[in-house]
Amino acid sequence: MPRVVLASALSRWLPAYAAGAPREAAFDIDATDLHGLLDALFARHPNLRGYVLDEQGVVRHHVAIFVDGQAIRDKANLRQPLAASSEVYVMQALSGG
Amino acid sequence: MNSPSHLLVSTRKGLFVLTRGAHAWQVERTAFLGDKVTLTGVDRRDGSWYAALDLGHFGCKLHRSTDQGRSWTELAVPAYGPDDVVAVGDGKPDAPATLKLIWAFAHGGEGEPGRLWLGTLPGGLFRSDDHGASWRLMRGLWDRPERKEWFGGGYDTPGIHSICVDPRDARRLLIAVSTAGVWRTDDGGETWSICAKGMRAEYMPPERAYDEIAQDVHQMVQCAAAPEHLWVQHHNGIFRSTDGARSWQEIENVAPSVFGFAVAVHPTDPHRAWFVPAIKDQFRIPVDAQLVVTRTRDGGQTFDQLRHGLPQHHCYDLIYRHGLAIDATGERLAIGSTTGGLWISEDQGDTWAALDARLPPVHAVGWG
Repeated sequence: MPRVVLASALSRWLPAYAAGAPREAAFDIDATDLHGLLDALFARHPNLRGYVLDEQGVVRHHVAIFVDGQAIRDKANLRQPLAASSEVYVMQALSGG
Repeated sequence: MNSPSHLLVSTRKGLFVLTRGAHAWQVERTAFLGDKVTLTGVDRRDGSWYAALDLGHFGCKLHRSTDQGRSWTELAVPAYGPDDVVAVGDGKPDAPATLKLIWAFAHGGEGEPGRLWLGTLPGGLFRSDDHGASWRLMRGLWDRPERKEWFGGGYDTPGIHSICVDPRDARRLLIAVSTAGVWRTDDGGETWSICAKGMRAEYMPPERAYDEIAQDVHQMVQCAAAPEHLWVQHHNGIFRSTDGARSWQEIENVAPSVFGFAVAVHPTDPHRAWFVPAIKDQFRIPVDAQLVVTRTRDGGQTFDQLRHGLPQHHCYDLIYRHGLAIDATGERLAIGSTTGGLWISEDQGDTWAALDARLPPVHAVGWG
């Protein structure tokens, strides 16, 4: 099952992770593409959607998503397939300061 | 009326809540330390506070506190629709509309529980009728064809930074836009008309100097006890209206400068207003590197230059549009600067005292 890891800068906005020291959050999610994985993640944590995507459904300018070590190429098209062993990292892009 | 008990200072690195100690104002607590708080609004009907955050990477957020900043709950933020486009009148290409900044806050009237207003970059006005749980774009303004003539002032996109809700009838609003003059609704935001007659934009081509839509209002305030009286700090100078924004009169030759961003009006005396002048356009620093607040007490006929307690030597503090606030008594004022200076006056600006702290850059000050 693919795994998604949220950087601590992002996970600290999840109510369950707000207390204590900042730490990564990891979730195993049954999905066959990135769009499905993120949708399932946002269903579990509804406030997270607005942190990762803007209201037009595009990955925010200063958010980076890596799938199996490669940054996604098109922030507006998330229909990228995932393998059962895929690891997805969602993090703040360094361009954002 | 009792003095408000808190000064809310929104900064690049968090919200600072100040209270009056025995001898001086002091930081009582902080919230969102490390995060950029761009504006904090107070709903005077129920005492709740609303903090607007700009998280950079993760977008704009809104939080509410009902216990004076001790705890906060995240709310929804305004969202533009899939077909909404930012088209601007200064030649930049069209772009999909996304929320860039929460730039203005106001609450509704006594008979409108839960009603809140937010002004945003890129130019949408949003209304909530459920204390911020959901937001609706005011399409009557957004869909007006003239919006495509609006343009950004200091930002890539236009923005609404001033919202004045008429205390006599809360369905009547005046908003100010940088850059698109002043707009009025009488029906709670459904229909709108422009009302910037008399404003002058020296920076525009001459034939468009009096074009109402080209007016770069930096901030607009309304006298609570005399709502027909409004004051504007404009890119070009100081303007006043005494007829509810139907017409505006320019007030020229105010020393040391008519350029600035911030304005405040006394809550009961519409003839008293305060400004924080600077050298215009590319400089944006105090004149002669001396921080000055200007004050009129006679409707703009004469101005005092208030300096007592403000730095008068090598001072480069700029007071941005939400960096000046007067309290509900009309006695206390606060100014916060882009380099983290904070000064408070308790005698209408005659004397000022600096906060004994080095704050991050200040985005907004407000009394809670």
